[in-house]
Amino acid sequence: MRYVKLSSENFSSFFESLRNWGKVYAPIKRGSIYTFQEVHELGEIELNYTRTMLPPKKFFVRPRDEILRLKNGRWENGTDAEPIVLFGLHSCDMHGLKILDKVYLDEPADPYYKARREKTFIVGISCMPDEYCFCKSLGTHFAMDGFDLFLHELPDGWLVRIGSVRGHEVVWENGELFEEVTDEDLKHFKEFEERRANAFQKEIPQEGLADMLDLAYNSPVWKEYAEICLACGNCNMVCPTCRCYEVCDNWISAYDAVRERRYDSCFMENHGLVAGGHNFRPTRLDRFRHRYYCKSYFDPSSGYNCVGCGRCDEFCPAKIEHVKVLEEVRGSLR
Amino acid sequence: MSENPHQTYDARILEVKDLTPREKLFTLRFLDPEIGEHFTFKPGQFVIVDIRGFGEFPISLCSSPTRKGYIQLCIRKAGRMTKFIHQMKEGEVVGIRGPYGNGFPMEKMEGSNLLLVAGGLGMAPLRSVLWYAIDTGKYEHVWLLYGTKAYEDILFRDEIIHLLKHGDAVGCSVKLAYEVESPSCIYLERGFFDRVCKGVVTDLFRGEEFDVDKAYALICGPPVMYRFVIKELLDRKLSPGRIYMTLERRMRCGIGKCGHCIVGTSTSIKYVCKDGPVFTYWDALSTRGLI
Repeated sequence: MRYVKLSSENFSSFFESLRNWGKVYAPIKRGSIYTFQEVHELGEIELNYTRTMLPPKKFFVRPRDEILRLKNGRWENGTDAEPIVLFGLHSCDMHGLKILDKVYLDEPADPYYKARREKTFIVGISCMPDEYCFCKSLGTHFAMDGFDLFLHELPDGWLVRIGSVRGHEVVWENGELFEEVTDEDLKHFKEFEERRANAFQKEIPQEGLADMLDLAYNSPVWKEYAEICLACGNCNMVCPTCRCYEVCDNWISAYDAVRERRYDSCFMENHGLVAGGHNFRPTRLDRFRHRYYCKSYFDPSSGYNCVGCGRCDEFCPAKIEHVKVLEEVRGSLR
Repeated sequence: MSENPHQTYDARILEVKDLTPREKLFTLRFLDPEIGEHFTFKPGQFVIVDIRGFGEFPISLCSSPTRKGYIQLCIRKAGRMTKFIHQMKEGEVVGIRGPYGNGFPMEKMEGSNLLLVAGGLGMAPLRSVLWYAIDTGKYEHVWLLYGTKAYEDILFRDEIIHLLKHGDAVGCSVKLAYEVESPSCIYLERGFFDRVCKGVVTDLFRGEEFDVDKAYALICGPPVMYRFVIKELLDRKLSPGRIYMTLERRMRCGIGKCGHCIVGTSTSIKYVCKDGPVFTYWDALSTRGLI
């Protein structure tokens, strides 16, 4: 890794330089929530944000995505990718993208996701956890890769980690904005990370988690929560790793149709329904449990399917807490 | 755009044949001869059929890769899409992408006895195995135990009756169980009293001796059937690793992305479309919710 320093006075010039890459999307505050939107000047950005409602997956797997377009009886590629900059991603969201990469870039790669991913320049930013965050216990609180540049807050600027060749190029082209990292910067960086590590209020104890959850398949806790759950699917929409999609064809004129995919949720009754009417997850209990199992699945190469961002807790209308459910299910084994 | 896995290839409907009041057999050929030439598959795999502007649905291949130049799909009228294709006529064009899934390990099973257990529409993918086995002649003996509701519901009835009569000559014994009595069934039962009976598919196991060390069981049928058939096989000491079953789930994309066919728990998650649809009984024991 290469490290450089970006001082506070050069920050806006640096931001301007990113606009050469493409449209810049960054977190802004809208009402009481944060959201990634296109920004034109630094002042619009909310750098001290907690979490956006929709994770950055929306740029790669869009809520509604036209994948094919019917022209003269033939399907044509319906979508294209443009270069963009995602500015201000938190570490957990980068890990979320890595989990999506594993699914969408695995053979056969999804061409739309792949093209968008390749054309996106990612700038990470350090953050302070709030009461919902539990990324530290999942090891996703620090990104070692998955970004082009990562900005760590210092009292007088930013410590920049360069994570890719493209990151190097941007720093190279704007050499006058950056300087060498001093011992004092390192001290501040260390202090910040220590302060951050101590600020987490929630954690998932991982020891034997996957096995214990599996053993607790018939736990009454699932049932208790399934009764509280509204099955609205909010948690799926806001989850940075949930990616189920549904496909449908829509006619736009007598001659043109589009094949569109859109977010689907495993809480919907028809998620496991097959032709002829058999439903493989007929009850809300089945569907509730399925989501928790899907999120807690441990893949040896990419870890859990959960990055601890806390979105499902914050945006759950029934106030169901992910960690608490898992702890109670595990506790019910004793 | 050939690298786009969502793109489908045109195939013309050569023939539409009524199999039962609910099922039709579609014979298709790719318009592009090069694709037709290179399209090959394993018994047990499936394709996604695309009706432009209406949608896509997965369906298992019921012809055999040994018979080139065309593919066959046995389609039950069960929903909006299948209802639409049932109205299509010979000469019309649909899109096909695939083949998807792992298929049955036909090469591994060479030289063994195959015990095919089919229930209802489960006959479709197993017909592919049956043909493959007969065409290649690489398997010692093939049993087909087929459970159906009524005489009218017997899929590929002509072929089944032909095999009842002449199957032994090609190393294939067929047994048939029906649930609803009718004059045709009784007539059939009279003709083949040791091969046809009233009852369910597990009744066909009665009196049969299988050399379990040399046999593989291949099962396909409605979800409720698996438990009973597997019990029957385990009682006969067939190893769980020799029991293969092909499963149905909602397979939207066929390539392990859309998430609808995911089964399992925190310790084991499988995509039925990609890791399956053929699984062994060991898989079922280690992945909850598979059967």
